[in-house]
Amino acid sequence: MLQVEVAAQVRTKFGKGAARTLRRAGQTPAVVYGKQDSIALELDTHAFTKALLSIHRKNAVINLTITDGKKQNVKHVVTKEIQTDPLLNSVVHADFYEISLDALMVFVVPIRYTGKAKGVDMGGDMMIAKEKLTLKGKALEIPDAVEVNVSALGIGEKMCFADIQLPAGVSMLDAPETVCVSVGTAVAQQG
Amino acid sequence: MLSPKKVKYRKVMKGRMRGAAHRGSSIAFGEYGLKALSCGKMTAQQIEAARITISRTVKRGGQMWIRIFPDKPFTKKPAETRMGSGKGAPEGWVAVIKPGRILYELAGVEPEVAKEALRLAGNKLPFPTKIVELGSTL
Repeated sequence: MLQVEVAAQVRTKFGKGAARTLRRAGQTPAVVYGKQDSIALELDTHAFTKALLSIHRKNAVINLTITDGKKQNVKHVVTKEIQTDPLLNSVVHADFYEISLDALMVFVVPIRYTGKAKGVDMGGDMMIAKEKLTLKGKALEIPDAVEVNVSALGIGEKMCFADIQLPAGVSMLDAPETVCVSVGTAVAQQG
Repeated sequence: MLSPKKVKYRKVMKGRMRGAAHRGSSIAFGEYGLKALSCGKMTAQQIEAARITISRTVKRGGQMWIRIFPDKPFTKKPAETRMGSGKGAPEGWVAVIKPGRILYELAGVEPEVAKEALRLAGNKLPFPTKIVELGSTL
């Protein structure tokens, strides 16, 4: 899984007015919570926006370096909610959820279909039924995307979730008999 | 033209447009989108005019999504009628647009073609718009 480094400071001022002052000064208010008590944070908006764009809607573990006075502490977090301004596309607030890298977690991972199915060359149509998969495992062992090679599929053949090869230590939570891709005979277009 | 199949009330109050669009403000399906920068009402005719512009500019291939629907009726009194005597007859349908709303989305076309199609579509609308890309949005 993708890993991103983000630096943050502990925030001591709270409320609407203080948050607006922070944003004007180029900082973004944020909060981290999890098994321990929540901590209010402030992040550099420019650096954080760059980090978010590099993740871009993918699963990622953020290594959050929190500075509290002279102490520094690193927490592994995932984004729980990113509030953005709908007009300016700027970050308004971020929610982080602290995770343990050794604990098992559930992630939704996209499926990437590779190759050209044999049946498509023979005039069939490839029908993709599922584009995402729910996986459970340690955060760093979860792949960014699951690759499925469809080149062996002929006309009338299908591939189920059970046929997908997963990395060691990762299990699937979806029903294994669910069809994810199939090749059918081409349907003639009307009109 | 887009319009609801049936509605509970034929005539509704005008209402006010306040605040920004928090729902429907990010690209959900395509690669490029047209975003409203201020509030306004988009009639079914304007939605159709912009759709035709996009499909004519793209010519072939690609996919388009219309992210708005004109679900609010507006009324009009006949010409040369004295004021009073109740609300006018339903005239058409509008979609109420708030700033930040994604109006159209496009995918599967060249970036230059997509941007030109959305620019021309934006020219048909009664409020300012901008083109947004999937890669540069949070």
